[in-house]
Amino acid sequence: MNDSLFSQLSTLGSSVVLLFGITLLWRRSLRAYTGAFQWQSAVLAAMFVIIGYFGHDPELYFVAVFFGILKVFILPRYLERMEKRFGGQRESQPYVNVATSLILAGLLVLLAYAITRPLVLVSALPTRGGLPLAMGLIFVGLFVVITRKKALTQIVGFLVMENGIALLAVLGTFGIPLIVELGVFLDVLMGFLVMQVFVYHIHGTFESIDVDQLNELKH
Amino acid sequence: MTHYILEIAQALLALLLAPLLVGFVRWVKARLQNRRGAPPWLPYFELAKLFGKEVVMSNNASWLFRFAPTIVFASALAVTFLVPLIAAPLPFDNVGDLLVVVYLLLLGTFFLALAGLDPGTAFGGMGASREMTVAAIAEPTIALAIFGLALGAGSTNLGRIVTATLANPGVAISPGHLLAFAALFIVTLAETGRLPVDNPSTHLELTMIHEAMILEYSGRYLALIEWAAWLKLTIFFSLLANLFVPWGLATVLTPATLAIAVVTLIIKLAVLGLVVAVVETRVAKLRLFRVPELLGLSFVLALLAVTSSFLLR
Repeated sequence: MNDSLFSQLSTLGSSVVLLFGITLLWRRSLRAYTGAFQWQSAVLAAMFVIIGYFGHDPELYFVAVFFGILKVFILPRYLERMEKRFGGQRESQPYVNVATSLILAGLLVLLAYAITRPLVLVSALPTRGGLPLAMGLIFVGLFVVITRKKALTQIVGFLVMENGIALLAVLGTFGIPLIVELGVFLDVLMGFLVMQVFVYHIHGTFESIDVDQLNELKH
Repeated sequence: MTHYILEIAQALLALLLAPLLVGFVRWVKARLQNRRGAPPWLPYFELAKLFGKEVVMSNNASWLFRFAPTIVFASALAVTFLVPLIAAPLPFDNVGDLLVVVYLLLLGTFFLALAGLDPGTAFGGMGASREMTVAAIAEPTIALAIFGLALGAGSTNLGRIVTATLANPGVAISPGHLLAFAALFIVTLAETGRLPVDNPSTHLELTMIHEAMILEYSGRYLALIEWAAWLKLTIFFSLLANLFVPWGLATVLTPATLAIAVVTLIIKLAVLGLVVAVVETRVAKLRLFRVPELLGLSFVLALLAVTSSFLLR
């Protein structure tokens, strides 16, 4: 009973996390992107707690707290500050339009199901139902990175992809050692800060954060 | 014999509850907007008033215009016999399953669109074309979302789906159910003309959909169409309530269980009405060209629901 409840909860949590990833594709304003990322991270932190409780690994509670502080408070705040500075950025014309990207996201999740199928079949983990969803989230994050034009939305896409990897790791291993997790968090923070510097430079040079403008450098 | 009485009682209950539900949603919205609001039972008086008024009709209108309200109302009424409102499995389950429900609903929409085109006014044509755009994406999504549930239950019979969920309560929080619920909720808003898609509280706005089609109607025809629209709202709400949270439905027919079923149905409808009122107060109407995108989102959710219930079976 406990095991089946655990597997239900972990699959449910993974699908909620994926749901926020997909709604990202439908939104336009950067604030909506940040909000969706924030909610997704909050649910993911709750997933850490659930897996820590059922997998009897108290270390995961610490991970959840660090994760929550970093991704629910610090990063969204930085994103909002950047957005304020550039003023009301909207993803008005992505490379792939919204309807098509939603359908492609659906196909990407199907692809994730297809490629994780062998893994799910041999696995005896109670959390195996969530593995394809986590893989799907990685794909969706990558898709956001390659199809959106604004530098800021690409950053959110990258962070969503990172959430997907974190979810896959915790579902597959029930928590990697704390020191490794902390290293990953630090990496994410550093990567984010570096990207922030880049965005400021792009904005300083082109008066816009549209990465399309970078093509002008070729001429 | 009791079976027929049960079915007729269920249809009557839906007919009587529909105006109250709409009135309740309007009242909650008014309260949320700091207005006093009309009492929730106002729609009953609205119906009585409309039935008492004479019908004014354009000279260009054909027989279709006169027939459409009856067909729209009859198709909605027929659905109330098939959807588990207070009891499951229903005696009429063998008459029609989920596909019949979906296409009966579409039949009403189709005739309403035809009736919008018939008198040849500009608004009617605009409304009809928009309604068809919405319906073309919304209808497959309803079918797909309920298929997600049907896969788990092993039957497209609505009564069977409900009893399968009752027998195995764990599936109610499975991702398939959750995604299907999200998809069906968005479609409910679109199909019943609620706010992000259509504004139910205006009569003259360039972007209206439902109101544009029925602009030419008056008197008892308008009453029938309005009642059918409210009935549709009740049907969608009870699909959401009873397919996903079936507890409280009567599985054995005793007066006590039926009484409990009626009370829980009213509570569930009230909760959903509250949710919709809050959503309608919080969101702004979408630009018309963004509506297909929203429905595309719900279609993808329904597709994922089917996939996950198929693969995690």
